Amino acid sequence: MLHTLIQKELKSITVSNKFLVTFMICSLLLIMSVLIGINEYKQAMTQYETVHQMADERIQQVSSWHSVSYREHRKPSPLMIFTSGLSYDIGRWSDINRESTVKLKNSIYSDDPIFAVFRIIDFTFIVQIIFSLLAILFTFNAVNGEKESGTLRLIFSNAVPRTKYILAKCIGTWLGLLIPILIPILLSVLIVMLFQIEFSSQEWIRLVLLIFISVLYTSIFIVFGVFMSTMSRSSNVSFLLSLVFWICFVLILPRGGVMASGNIVSVPRIAEVEGMKVSFAKNKWENYYKDMDKRLSGSEHNDDSEEDGISDDMMWANLKAEDSLRKEVTREIEGYEESLLEDWKNKQKAQQNLGFMLARFSPAATYQLAAMSLSNTDISLKSSYEQVMKDYREEFNSYIDKKSENAGPGAGSIMITMDSDKGMDLKMGRDEAIDVSDRPQFVHPKTQLSKILPDVIVNISILLFMIFGLLTGAYFSFMRFDLR
Amino acid sequence: MNENNKQVILEAVNLTKKYDDGVLALDNLNFAIYENEIFAMLGGNGAGKTTTINIFLNLLEPTSGDAKVCGVSSHIEPLVVKKNLAYVSENVMLYPNFTALQNLDFFSQLGGQDSLTKDHYQEVLIRVGLAEQVHNNKLKGFSKGMRQKCGIAIAILKDTKAILFDEPTSGLDPKAGYEFIQLLNDLKGEGKAVLMSTHDIFRAKEAADTIAIMNDGKFLMKEKASTLFDKDLESLYMQYMAGHAPQPASEGV
Repeated sequence: MLHTLIQKELKSITVSNKFLVTFMICSLLLIMSVLIGINEYKQAMTQYETVHQMADERIQQVSSWHSVSYREHRKPSPLMIFTSGLSYDIGRWSDINRESTVKLKNSIYSDDPIFAVFRIIDFTFIVQIIFSLLAILFTFNAVNGEKESGTLRLIFSNAVPRTKYILAKCIGTWLGLLIPILIPILLSVLIVMLFQIEFSSQEWIRLVLLIFISVLYTSIFIVFGVFMSTMSRSSNVSFLLSLVFWICFVLILPRGGVMASGNIVSVPRIAEVEGMKVSFAKNKWENYYKDMDKRLSGSEHNDDSEEDGISDDMMWANLKAEDSLRKEVTREIEGYEESLLEDWKNKQKAQQNLGFMLARFSPAATYQLAAMSLSNTDISLKSSYEQVMKDYREEFNSYIDKKSENAGPGAGSIMITMDSDKGMDLKMGRDEAIDVSDRPQFVHPKTQLSKILPDVIVNISILLFMIFGLLTGAYFSFMRFDLR
Repeated sequence: MNENNKQVILEAVNLTKKYDDGVLALDNLNFAIYENEIFAMLGGNGAGKTTTINIFLNLLEPTSGDAKVCGVSSHIEPLVVKKNLAYVSENVMLYPNFTALQNLDFFSQLGGQDSLTKDHYQEVLIRVGLAEQVHNNKLKGFSKGMRQKCGIAIAILKDTKAILFDEPTSGLDPKAGYEFIQLLNDLKGEGKAVLMSTHDIFRAKEAADTIAIMNDGKFLMKEKASTLFDKDLESLYMQYMAGHAPQPASEGV
């Protein structure tokens, strides 16, 4: 019985025009998006390799250890072909040197702002928006449409249990929609293979998981459509209801969740933080200079009572003391900045967690978060890269310090000598390039699958829970459905 | 068993249906339909004919009383009852994207006839008067009469003891109406019990063994067709509907 009903559903879907249209839309969009994704990825990789090579060449030409600076670039992930996530929004490189702090700059969207206006259509977008809409279009009249056409009465004039019917509706429609969705997806994967895009084994697993959650996400809207079709006698009403709920859950709720969290957990703007940092530093330096003036005037007063001329030892002692005080102030400022930044980051994290938690009431947000996390293009991409770059900067700077120390004074640097007899002398360091071949190499952050798996499992569980909830809703609603 | 040792197939026992809005659709209805019998319910819109059929099909629960098929209550054991029941609606709507044969295949399997082949389907379609060249055509191109024939073919293939027809002749041309009556007589000859709701007094008189005139959920008249042979059923119907009954409805036919 169940088999007959499922077979009928499947057959009635596959012979319908909407099946053909869906198949064509899905194929066209997915193949186009993957081709665009491959092109973008290849361009990003070429750019990455070129600028990396240029940075290598530049560092090899440097002749002074004090002016060694490197520019490290973020490596594009091949999974951005399917889920671009934040990879277009986040900066691509950061300077690694003593002077500037690590900050990813120059995103793709900052180069080509036109793409930021309408964003890029990728696999995740197609699944999130197009597939969910198609699923609703397939199912909004699954039950009440049969009632309107009169076939429902005929079906239930036979010994058909309601449970089997509603189950067959869900399974049959699911299978019917899975065909026009899965075939283009597999074609897209085939295209990626044909273009010889290198995927590691972990990336293949991630891709399979991405396809799996895409199917789960689409299933939600299939069951949702069936549920809506049991809620109303009229297919027009169920269509409108489905559309309203779709707008709420796909378009409004994810944004609403983030906006609500922004109001609940207030995070100071980065300019505000910068302002606090500047004001603290200004205050500290002002105090330092006031104190220094006092110290200098005290020392001048003392000097008057002594013989003419300041002894070198005293001058060095004063300079050393001042230097240590300056360092103390710098440390204090840095400490304050760190605590300020830490506090800002904690607040931002709390806001982010709350925002994502609220947004997860929407299947679209849950799906997007899981897809981005699987594709390594999620919100942690920036922080993880910046953290690794910060660690690398420490390592790089200590390497330069060590090298600079070993090379001795003047090695590859500008040497200024001041002599009371000879006056000031400025000597440039040697002209030949310094050897930086043994510099520490940057290792790109790689989020292990095991690390993101708990988060992915949570998202998968939420999607499964939604399917189960909607299935239960459809079942109970159909039990009360007037079959006449 | 009664009436010349014939088995009662369809039976309404004090069947009453009151809707939530207070409308009394069926008021203590009683009748029995035996094998080889055609029972026609005549009546205007809202008389309770379709409600009676809906209760037999378990599409509605009775407020009180019982609708039985082969002695089994339709609201207690609906799945058992439906195995003995075939149904043809007023406007047979099948799957428009399926061919006639595909529709027959699906509904036959649903009716528990798993072993039927394409030859069986074609044989029945020809029997109901559907030309062979349209058997593989999609239903969306079929006229109402052709769809009606497919619906009857589905009912025949289900091979049940009882068949319910809801306004079967409405919208059919005279030829199709005549063919339908022939078919009905054939089914009766096969031992089926037929319950038919209709507005068509002429066809009812022509085909039915028992005719009941229904209004406001109860029978105003229930007579053997043979006793009405020499009467003008139309004027009788009009008298009953106008509330000028020539004589009270006789029970227990």
